[in-house]
Amino acid sequence: MNVTNDIEIELVESLVPVEDYLAAGVHIGTQQKSQDMKKFIYRVRADGLYILDIQQTDDRLKTAAAFLSKFEPAKILVVTSRQYGQYPAKKFADAIGGVAKVGRFIPGMLTNPDMEHYVEPEVIVVTDPIGDSQAINEAVQCGIPVVALCDTNNITKYIDLVIPTNNKGRKALSMIYFLLTREILKSRGVTTSLTPEDFEIEL
Amino acid sequence: MDTEKCTSCKAPLSEPGWTKFTCPKCGEPIYRCHRCRHQSVSYTCEKCGYQGP
Repeated sequence: MNVTNDIEIELVESLVPVEDYLAAGVHIGTQQKSQDMKKFIYRVRADGLYILDIQQTDDRLKTAAAFLSKFEPAKILVVTSRQYGQYPAKKFADAIGGVAKVGRFIPGMLTNPDMEHYVEPEVIVVTDPIGDSQAINEAVQCGIPVVALCDTNNITKYIDLVIPTNNKGRKALSMIYFLLTREILKSRGVTTSLTPEDFEIEL
Repeated sequence: MDTEKCTSCKAPLSEPGWTKFTCPKCGEPIYRCHRCRHQSVSYTCEKCGYQGP
C-alpha cells in the first residue's frame, strides 16, 4: 500500500520511517478519547477519529524496550485476549524468551499458587487494558509493574508505562510487537532477521 | 526505620498494591502507591525528570 505522508510529520531518530507507521495504522485511534490519553492525541480527523502523536509512540516504544530489557526474559509475561494480538504477542514472547498467555486469562494465574498455569512474572505487558483487566488487577495484587498498549479510549488506571498506539488493528499490533522485539534484542546485542510481516497472522 | 515513600504523593507505602520499578531512562528506583496507580497520577523521576505513566 502506498501511503502519502499528507500531514507532513517528521520524526526525530525514529525506529522505522514515518510512512511505515502510517501504513500500519499505528496512529489511528478511536472516536472516543479519555482524559488520561489526551496528552498523546495529535489531532481529531473530520470523521471524528482521534489521531495519536506518532513521535510520542516512537519515544515510548524506545522507553518500553529499555525498561523491559532490564528484566530477566523469563520473568516477562505478555497477556492478550484480543484476537489480532494473540499471534504477535506469542511471537514476541518466543523471540525475547518471555511467557505469553493469550486468549482467556484464567483468574488466579498470578495469585493462586495451586493453579496449574500459575506464573510468577516480574512485569506484565498487556495489549488492551479493557480486555485484559483481570491480568492487570492480579498484577496490582502482586505488586508488579504493568506496561500497556493504550488506544485513545483507554483509561490508564494501574498502568505504569503507557505505549500510545492503535491496539485494535492487525498490522498495528504486528508493527508494535515487532519493534519491541527488535529493540529488546538490540539491547542484548542480538540482531534479528525478523520483519513486521513475520508478526502478522494470515487471514 | 526508613519506610519507602511514593514517588508521586510522598505517602508511605503501607497499603498493598504498590509497586517498585526502575526508571526506564536512568534506572533510578520509582515507587508508586496503590492510590496513585488507581488514579493514574503521573510520576516524575527525581534523577532524570522522566514523566510517566
